[in-house]
Amino acid sequence: MDFIVAGFIKAIELLISGDRATWTAVWATIKVSTGSMLLSLGAGLPCGFVLGYFDFKGKKHLRTILDTMLALPTVFIGLAVYAFISRQGPLGELGLLFTLTGIAIGQTILAFPIVTAITATTIENIDHDLKLTLVSLGAGRRNIIATCLWEVRYGILAAAVTAYGRVLTEVGISMMVGGNIKYHTRTITTAIALETNKGLFADGIALGLVLIMIAFIVNLSLSFLRKQ
Amino acid sequence: MNRSKIFTFISALIFTMIMVINTQAQDNSLMMATTTSTDNTGLLDYLIPHFEKQTDIVLKWTSTGTGKALKLGQNCDVDVLLVHAPSAEKKFIEKGYGKDRRQIMYNDFIIIGPANDPAGVKGKSISDVLITIKSRQALFMSRGDDSGTHKKEKQLWQESNIPLPDKENWYVQTGQGMLATINVAQEKEGYTMTDRGTYIKYQSYKGGNAPLKILVEGDSILLNQYSVLTLDPRNCANAKYDLALQFSDWMASQNGQDLIRDFKLLGQKLFIPNAK
Amino acid sequence: MTNNIQVTRKNPAYHLKDIQHYYGNTKVLDIDDLKIEKGSITGLIGPNGSGKSTLLKLLAFAQKPTLGQIFYKGRLELPFSSSIRSKITLLTQKPYLLKRTVFENIVYGLKIRKEKNNLEKRVAEALLNVGLDYQDFATRFWHELSGGEAQRVAMAARLILKPEVLLLDEPIASVDIESAGLIRQASLNARKNWGTTLVIASHDLQWLYSICDHQLSIFKGNIFSTGVENIITGPFEKSDQKTLIKKLEDGQIITLNAPSQTASTAIIRKKNICLALEKQSGNGHINQLSGHITSMLLEKKSETIVAAISVHDLSLIVLLSPDQINRLDLYPGKKVILYFHSHDVEWI
Repeated sequence: MDFIVAGFIKAIELLISGDRATWTAVWATIKVSTGSMLLSLGAGLPCGFVLGYFDFKGKKHLRTILDTMLALPTVFIGLAVYAFISRQGPLGELGLLFTLTGIAIGQTILAFPIVTAITATTIENIDHDLKLTLVSLGAGRRNIIATCLWEVRYGILAAAVTAYGRVLTEVGISMMVGGNIKYHTRTITTAIALETNKGLFADGIALGLVLIMIAFIVNLSLSFLRKQ
Repeated sequence: MNRSKIFTFISALIFTMIMVINTQAQDNSLMMATTTSTDNTGLLDYLIPHFEKQTDIVLKWTSTGTGKALKLGQNCDVDVLLVHAPSAEKKFIEKGYGKDRRQIMYNDFIIIGPANDPAGVKGKSISDVLITIKSRQALFMSRGDDSGTHKKEKQLWQESNIPLPDKENWYVQTGQGMLATINVAQEKEGYTMTDRGTYIKYQSYKGGNAPLKILVEGDSILLNQYSVLTLDPRNCANAKYDLALQFSDWMASQNGQDLIRDFKLLGQKLFIPNAK
Repeated sequence: MTNNIQVTRKNPAYHLKDIQHYYGNTKVLDIDDLKIEKGSITGLIGPNGSGKSTLLKLLAFAQKPTLGQIFYKGRLELPFSSSIRSKITLLTQKPYLLKRTVFENIVYGLKIRKEKNNLEKRVAEALLNVGLDYQDFATRFWHELSGGEAQRVAMAARLILKPEVLLLDEPIASVDIESAGLIRQASLNARKNWGTTLVIASHDLQWLYSICDHQLSIFKGNIFSTGVENIITGPFEKSDQKTLIKKLEDGQIITLNAPSQTASTAIIRKKNICLALEKQSGNGHINQLSGHITSMLLEKKSETIVAAISVHDLSLIVLLSPDQINRLDLYPGKKVILYFHSHDVEWI
């Protein structure tokens, strides 16, 4: 049990002492999760809107595909992205393997279906009277879309938080695509995996605490935005 | 929530995004694939800051088994290799993937196991040890990841005329790094083969009083040679051959060799420099 | 009040022709011909699910009828056309307030029209029209309003547009008496000040009669431009080949000529029902039902009185003249006899 207590003490030590390895992992985590969340929002919001707002042929099949994508294991995404951005792969020229950008691409693939699905559901659940109200107040198509999106901003916020939580905590993609390079692509989760492999539970717990703290701060700042 | 607050929030996010992109642009960086033993022992953490300071090259490394490291080199996903599987390395060069191979340092492999040595292997010759383990069906942890250590272990079974027992219940393949495998052996009270450097690191984590002890050592077959390999530019035009050569030179230099010699844990040397 | 405004009578505000509207396979509206005059206030009466809301949506050009045409001021219009979008506004039954402040909710329509002048003054006026104080309410958020306040804010958001047509769907269903009075006054002012045409659906007949010039009643998608009509629902029993009877629990029997096609609901026009104080001997084709007067409302335009008579659990409506009321000394609570002929029935 000692190592659990030791973990708490170590966590505080690592953060206060400004331990370079810890802080670079923290920054790498924040940068890559934020980047992939933004990318997935950028791609997922319009797709989710289209899926939730319009009725079209094949919509049901798209939803099925999307739901399947929600269950994509991170190691599979990691493998796929690895295969694509390795020098031998189709995107090898870009030299993205073992970079944060590479991880961000993988995590975007991970978060995109989450954002899309939540946005689509939110849009689908828009009060039926909203559109009628907007039309009756004289809104044109563009006004309706803009106002609808603004009306469901809390739902979109929820999508962002969920996506952030997912990419913040995933380890498969970061490990496979990032290569767990110390000071560069080592994220908190891959560092935890490494420390556990080494049998250094205290260090692992310390990093886990840092991760929870980040998640807490993110949720806190979003709930501040949301305050009703 | 009003609009201005959201704009502030979004612009903060975009700013972070730009930071992410900016950090990618580094031209003097060298990407190395290496084995878990050089990383787990802390050798690289100790050595590389000296290298970066003296050459202005940023060295990044990913630690994996030697087999995968060679594959990464073959695929040109890295620029330079630090590995320990001499025969595989020579094949790698023959096939035109690698160019220069330079011996840097060595340590040795050892067989470790529980202090009470339930199978009674202590002090035996390597082939006797393996025969005993097999006949007693004692738990044996194998890396099982095509790493340099794993290649060496397979070679030992072969040279003891025992077919690789990879379907036996007592033969556990962890598929993980050296330290992870030692930890599995500790938890399951089994035997394993490790390089001495990683074992000393493991001892130091346990405060010098590790449950697993060295039972077999000193056989000449157990020598563990580490080398730096550059990639053949004809196979990997994008690999930074010049920087890789600089790294190779530095590791073999008097300065590099002295630093390796001085790297100690619990008063013991982990690697012995032997660059020519 | 209609005298105050100049109205070109050439074209009515609305002219609906051969409208049939379906939700899936269910017909929800069936209107052969309906005109609504400019500057008129029309009450829309009918039970839940009768098609009131659907009709209002068609009038708002928020939906296209499955079949038929709707002319607005003599011109055939299609849903969402920008020319009428800015002139007609609908207040839905449960008004949706945007997740913003009251001020932003009220100026939403103006902003869409790119009107940016004197917003504060106009919002204050609109709020005043529905009896809300600008200082107190403008900065409140949507979730800081009671049901009645939300309804009035939604009303203000329509009034600020000075619409040509204002369609109100159950505007007082969830508000208190004071709000109901304010919404009534605001509706009347809209016509007085801007010549607005109003169509108002409501369950509250008394409130509705106090506003509108005339009523349309709607039942199962059928429009009766004579206002409220008597609706008798089944089950009916077969008496002989030609007649159906409905037995009331108190023993009274209604005899009606059977429909020629399958139909389940009988309509008995109020003009066909007579009222007397005592039963008379008559033939079997005349229904005589005893009941009590429950309410009497003045229909403003025709100066006739609409009286509701409860006959056991039915409520029937008859038209009375002031003279009749005097002569028979009618008042709510008085016991009366209703007469109507068994062939004076329409089936739907």
